[in-house]
Amino acid sequence: MKSDYLMRIAVLLFVAAFFTYLFGPLVTMGLTAFNSSEFPRVTPWDCFSVEWFNVLAHDNELMHGVRNSLIIGIGVIALSVPTGLAGALMLTQIGPRIRPWYYTIVIAPILIPGVVLGISTLVFWDSLGRLFQAGENSIFYNGLFLTIVGQSAFISSYSMLVFISRLQRFDPALEEAALDLGATHVQAFRKVLLPFLKPAIGSAAVLGFLASFENYNTTVFTVLTESTLTTVLASKVRYGINPSISALAVAIVALTLIGAVVFEIAKRREQAESIEASRVARGEIAQRAKRRGIWADPVLLMFIAICVAAAGGIYLRGTTGVTECKANVLKARRAATQRKIKELRARRMFQQAAPSEQTGTAAGSKPQQKIEAEGTKGYRNVFAPQNLEEQASGKKKKKIEAPGTKGYSNVFAPRNLEKQAIGKDKAKE
Amino acid sequence: MKLTAYFREFFLRNGLTLGVFLLTAVAFWMLVLILLPQVFMVDFSLRHNLPPAAVGGPQDVYTLEHFKFMLYGSEQARGSYNTVDLSVFFRTLLAAVFVTIFDFALCYPIAFFLAKVAKGGWARLMVLSLLVPFWVNELLRAFAFRIVFGNTGVINAVLIWAGIIDQPIDFIRENIALYAGLSYAFILLMIFPIFNAVESLDSNQIEAARDLGSPWWRIHWRVVMPFAKPGITSGCTMVFMLSAGALASPQILGGPSSLWFTQIIYQWFQTGNNWHRGSAYAIVLLASTIIFVLIMMKVFKVKLGEIAG
Repeated sequence: MKSDYLMRIAVLLFVAAFFTYLFGPLVTMGLTAFNSSEFPRVTPWDCFSVEWFNVLAHDNELMHGVRNSLIIGIGVIALSVPTGLAGALMLTQIGPRIRPWYYTIVIAPILIPGVVLGISTLVFWDSLGRLFQAGENSIFYNGLFLTIVGQSAFISSYSMLVFISRLQRFDPALEEAALDLGATHVQAFRKVLLPFLKPAIGSAAVLGFLASFENYNTTVFTVLTESTLTTVLASKVRYGINPSISALAVAIVALTLIGAVVFEIAKRREQAESIEASRVARGEIAQRAKRRGIWADPVLLMFIAICVAAAGGIYLRGTTGVTECKANVLKARRAATQRKIKELRARRMFQQAAPSEQTGTAAGSKPQQKIEAEGTKGYRNVFAPQNLEEQASGKKKKKIEAPGTKGYSNVFAPRNLEKQAIGKDKAKE
Repeated sequence: MKLTAYFREFFLRNGLTLGVFLLTAVAFWMLVLILLPQVFMVDFSLRHNLPPAAVGGPQDVYTLEHFKFMLYGSEQARGSYNTVDLSVFFRTLLAAVFVTIFDFALCYPIAFFLAKVAKGGWARLMVLSLLVPFWVNELLRAFAFRIVFGNTGVINAVLIWAGIIDQPIDFIRENIALYAGLSYAFILLMIFPIFNAVESLDSNQIEAARDLGSPWWRIHWRVVMPFAKPGITSGCTMVFMLSAGALASPQILGGPSSLWFTQIIYQWFQTGNNWHRGSAYAIVLLASTIIFVLIMMKVFKVKLGEIAG
């Protein structure tokens, strides 16, 4: 089947293209964090260096934002996990008639644009503040509080979804048994339901924290005069960018990856233990094997060792010989600039040698004016006929010029050329 | 009477402490966090932008001024439409539709591949690797696209090196970077609903269609897609709503000459200092996106309940 074979190749190519799209930009950004170039780029590659991480660590504004983001994240967990839990429990108890309405209202914040949530929160608390005639320093005008409240509106929906999916596997008979055996409602809740929901509480908290930490659309409205990581980042990215932002991305990805691996190791341990426990219960094995704490887990220790080694290697490689390498790059660039200037000068001479030819062809349709123009050199009047000619001949000239000189009106000033050539290399974007 | 009976039963079932906790938490969430702010925003958008001293005074009356402004421009220029804001508005909706279609075209094959074709460890690794880009901050993702699509970015470097172009293409001015970045941001939201829907499809149905001689595209068109319609709809809804309401990516990746509608709202709040008008614009955005989604659901004959379920 030839068509089958072609089909398979097409599918594989599509999958490959998809994952390139998925990871290409992130990998590129990660690489720019290690390039010593002032502007985040991969080509041309200057020097392998970790200086941008250093710049990042000394960025006080950003660190202040990170601190605020952490506070907000913790506040959001404290608010959204209980409300999400209550929302999920409520959903199991209300009647079928109001159920769709209830569900629509509590799920809506996920779909409402974050901008709208931020604005409505801001306006609401502002109005409340005016109603109670609260001062500027009251809670109604506190950016951190408003952000916690605004983000919790939709993060509670996330955590509710997490709890709903866990509750679907809960056997209500367990709770009934507890109540029948004389437990109070609170006891049944605390001793039966909460332990069952424990993993869901963990995931809801992690999910909520991550969602809060990376939220921008809502935060930018509710944060007022305060700043968070995302608002600082946004202003940095908009007003000039440098690779320390890439370095931040590398740090975040590295931390989350490490966190994910540690989480996976912990989960596998737990699974192994529970399997062992059930085998003990069935009498297949006499006793559970003794295990040391999670921090002595061999897989984890190996993973930590690899991470430390990799970080150390990168640090060493990125700090040794960077200065010399940079000097070399600068020298090479200067030489290239000199060469470019020489080329441009040669071209300029060539152009000066044959200027009349060009103007002749360009303004050929108006021979009368052309003769006049010879005498009007130096006028900068709009009405000077020469103006037309300059424009016309300028168009012609551009085609002859090297691609590097595109867009410069004053080709005849050598100082200009030099400046441009150097500037272009320095601040290429 | 019925209500009191309902509450009595509620407290009997949950006990007093737990019942009070549930009621207060849910009431706080629904009223203070969701509903009241929206009501206040609507109220806010219907009032004049007055100096603080005049708020609550005789001038503080309801008005449609801000909605009129979006349609017709300022008081002096009534008679013609406010082409600037309206064109941004429609362009935003159109671009959001485009992003949604692009994401669907990109994600449906991948979701199907992951759900039905890929097997074992590879499939798990791919699903996991889908998550990785979404641990990275939205702003940093946009930043990555700026690096890739910049004048000296990788794409331009590759194209020039390959000799396809001799001048770098300004992807940012052409908004290509923006569309690519927005589509990228919502891939996960498109893939997972479709993936879940397709995965629950009995593979025997596909086999049967194939055995009966159906070509692959018709299997998708007549068997897989109708079955996955709820998943497709919820994916498309989320992508459309979120890309129409996106702010970070347009701010970073948008061309200098084109705006996203959320950026206009942002300007009314931050630099225009007219919160009332900003609220009005936000309401227009919210209402129009919801209406658009509802119309689309009608067109494609999907019920709201199907998505929620």
